[in-house]
Amino acid sequence: MQTASPKFKIVAGVLGVLTAAGVAAWIYQLMGGLGVTGMNNGTSWGLYITMFMLFVGLSAGGLIVASSASVFHITKFKAVALPAIILSTVCICAAGMFVLIDMGGIQRVWRIVTGPNPTSPLLWDMCVITVYLVLNILYLLFMTRYGVDSRKVEVVSRFALPAAILVHSVTAWIFGLQLAKEWYSAIMAPIFVASAMDSGLALLLVVLVALDAAGWFKFSRELMKSLAGLLATCIAIDAFFIGCEVLTMAYPGARGAEALSIMLGGATAPFFWFEIVGGLLVPFCVLVFAKNRANVKLVVASSVLVVLGVLCKRVWLLFTSFVVPNVYGAPGIASGSSAAAHATGVDMWAATSSYAPTWVELVVVAGVLALGALVFMLLARKMLVEGGGKKKAQVASAVRKEAASAAGAEASA
Amino acid sequence: MTKFGMAINLDRCMGCNTCAMACKMQNNVPMGMMWNRVIVEGCENEFDAQGTYPNLARTYLPIACQHCENPACQRVCPTGATYKDDKGRVQIDYDKCIGCRMCMAACPYNARVFNWNDPVRDPDFCYGDAGVPVRSKGVMEKCTMCKERTDRGDEPMCVRCCPAEARTFGDLDDPSSEVSRLIREKSAYVLLPEQGTRPQVRYFN
Repeated sequence: MQTASPKFKIVAGVLGVLTAAGVAAWIYQLMGGLGVTGMNNGTSWGLYITMFMLFVGLSAGGLIVASSASVFHITKFKAVALPAIILSTVCICAAGMFVLIDMGGIQRVWRIVTGPNPTSPLLWDMCVITVYLVLNILYLLFMTRYGVDSRKVEVVSRFALPAAILVHSVTAWIFGLQLAKEWYSAIMAPIFVASAMDSGLALLLVVLVALDAAGWFKFSRELMKSLAGLLATCIAIDAFFIGCEVLTMAYPGARGAEALSIMLGGATAPFFWFEIVGGLLVPFCVLVFAKNRANVKLVVASSVLVVLGVLCKRVWLLFTSFVVPNVYGAPGIASGSSAAAHATGVDMWAATSSYAPTWVELVVVAGVLALGALVFMLLARKMLVEGGGKKKAQVASAVRKEAASAAGAEASA
Repeated sequence: MTKFGMAINLDRCMGCNTCAMACKMQNNVPMGMMWNRVIVEGCENEFDAQGTYPNLARTYLPIACQHCENPACQRVCPTGATYKDDKGRVQIDYDKCIGCRMCMAACPYNARVFNWNDPVRDPDFCYGDAGVPVRSKGVMEKCTMCKERTDRGDEPMCVRCCPAEARTFGDLDDPSSEVSRLIREKSAYVLLPEQGTRPQVRYFN
């Protein structure tokens, strides 16, 4: 067993401290209630649900690349299957954590098991995420535990690919099936799948380049070029779907156009325009040229922009619908926040709704991100760095056993 | 079957907010929250009016849970905490609510309020009806159509207290009830009909 380098220990230590801070902030939130967040009766979902959507999406890239390598026999993608699946597993766990952190009554969450309501998209989501997580773990086991068991990997990948599509669709349906909000749109699921593919692939590219730089994993430039090409295609599909949605909102000049004006020039405009320019236009224009796809710096920069762009998309997608209530009029909605509980007169009301995350939400989110990074580092070290050495040892011991006992040779192999 | 509902005569409503206060007292609703509120239509400020001087108008819209026949909130609730009871009212089982707020996003009328904190009450005691359960932090709540009162045959508190007698409560399944007659004769309408929720609270002029 190799000892960790001092650099690894420092990074792991910092991430550990951040995680501890996140846990502390979460305990503070459990004690005080969700009132310690910026959420209120008007904007009833906030940063946690934004991050949940983002991380469900980020998880896709890895699993889709790895499983399409098996399903569609794209042999060159098989090389990155292991780090891709580790990334996918860590991201889906982070997504699950964000849903649970967002619950007001986590102590009653077992009620979902004892009395599930089959029409609830949140119930579907919990089921699909669980199945998806199990498939991820099986995938990892089959690739590492007993050496690469390619037959089992092939079988599990055939389930993993549709599960990956479904997990994003169901997440989209949490929003897209709500007639009361602007989310109500049939294209919501395709948009979620497309942005999951581009943000997930982008994160995978960044992580693979980082692993290569750390000397943990050999990531060939040829493969980077081809994954970056796939990323450019996914960005284009994502942009097409968003275009369809925006045009459909705008054209009748009715309620959708009101929401669109908030996106184009209102509260969520910075996020919308960053996504369109920084998250779609710029990375696409960079990656569309083969020459740029061979340039590590440009690929990493474009990938980071894509992930940030998709984060911004989650923000405008979620919050635009909350701004103006369906039944509009003064004094509006009783905001219900901690401030409102002690407010007098009109201060407890809000005609239109606004939201900004509090320090508690930011620390909790930083904690979950740190925990995810930490777990990824540890798993990657165990499976990519030490796993390579262990496999050699396994082969060596098998050879020794073979020499010692001819009868036991088959079993140990 | 009983299907409780309500008809509200908007011509009689003068925006006095007595119904909102009566509801808050009856149902022990904490500070910063309202189950029932009165909106000044089309205005951002409570003291505004629609139109330009001297042609001004102020119209009021009392709004609480619409007790929909097709409740969007009930569909999306993962634990079945929100349900349609045997008298046609939409209710919340507080013990089952996990605080996910799916119902809050689903309700087109913003009728629901969430206990973001431990409930605060300004006089330091529960001022509500003794039969009304106390809600803890992390659960959703909203108008129950005064379940505790209507179960024993009384009217909801907002109906009882309205000084203009704008509200009529009764059984929509009984064609001879006063509320059914008013809905029929006055062609009472529902809020946001395009949402397809089929509210059992109707409005007329």
